[in-house]
Amino acid sequence: MEQNKEMTASESLQLITETLNNSRKDILRSNAKYYMIWGVLLTCFSLAIYLLWKSTGHAYWNLLWFAMPLVGFPLAKWIGSKEDAVRSENVISRITRGIWLTFCIFSCSVALFSILYSFINTSPIGAIAVGTSLSGQIILLFGMAETITGVALKNWIIKNAGVVTGIGGLALYYGIGLYEEQMLLFTFAGIVLFITGILVKRQNR
Amino acid sequence: MFPKLDPLLHSELRLAVMSILAGVDEADFTYLKKQTGATSGNLSVQIDKLTAADYITVEKGFKGKMPRTTCKITPTGQEAFSHYVESLKEYLSAGK
Repeated sequence: MEQNKEMTASESLQLITETLNNSRKDILRSNAKYYMIWGVLLTCFSLAIYLLWKSTGHAYWNLLWFAMPLVGFPLAKWIGSKEDAVRSENVISRITRGIWLTFCIFSCSVALFSILYSFINTSPIGAIAVGTSLSGQIILLFGMAETITGVALKNWIIKNAGVVTGIGGLALYYGIGLYEEQMLLFTFAGIVLFITGILVKRQNR
Repeated sequence: MFPKLDPLLHSELRLAVMSILAGVDEADFTYLKKQTGATSGNLSVQIDKLTAADYITVEKGFKGKMPRTTCKITPTGQEAFSHYVESLKEYLSAGK
């Protein structure tokens, strides 16, 4: 880029537009990396819980979910710190972070209430009803968070992936079993998230 | 009568730097260099000019053991940039 190149008004406006587009692409590339990390983690954790639950018959393995953020957040932070060129936050990245933080708070709250209820409620049918509805609620929240992120980033891949995860996940939820099979919903969400990351990265090379 | 375009912003590299900084809270020198494709020397000179006009502020610090220079747009710079974009739009709409 030349420092003193004489520009016309339209060239100047084009330069500003290109810079803003590059900035948006940069945010998308950065998001793609995190989608891949969380996609792999979600797939691994859901499969591990599914297999442990299936082999032992204990639903307590669900507590392993709380270990996922303990692994994911430090890993994401470490990968973020490896970037040599640092762009700080802007409005879009703040909104995106806010959306996923909100999802995290809401899904953890739903899970905690469900655990508390299963201790209080003596009826096994009631406990099953709460436990199984939890997966449907979380998959919907997940799909919503992903779709809203796609809207904020004006990216059709993320928007559609959110719809596939939320609505597709809900459709699977009604057809899948009541117990450990429910974990496969999150395997599905993890795979969709990972593929979304790859596609968004390719799209914004 | 068209408003006069700010000569400080009507330069390719300085405009690119301002466009980047207008959209983020702050950005480091390496990021600006990567995004603009400019050489370090060239970029430093233009950053100095923008700093002298109080359009941006520059902070020098460390990231771990590595030196890090961070640039941030000032309210004066933000206003000048908005004014520049408005002027460009006026020029272009008049030309249609």
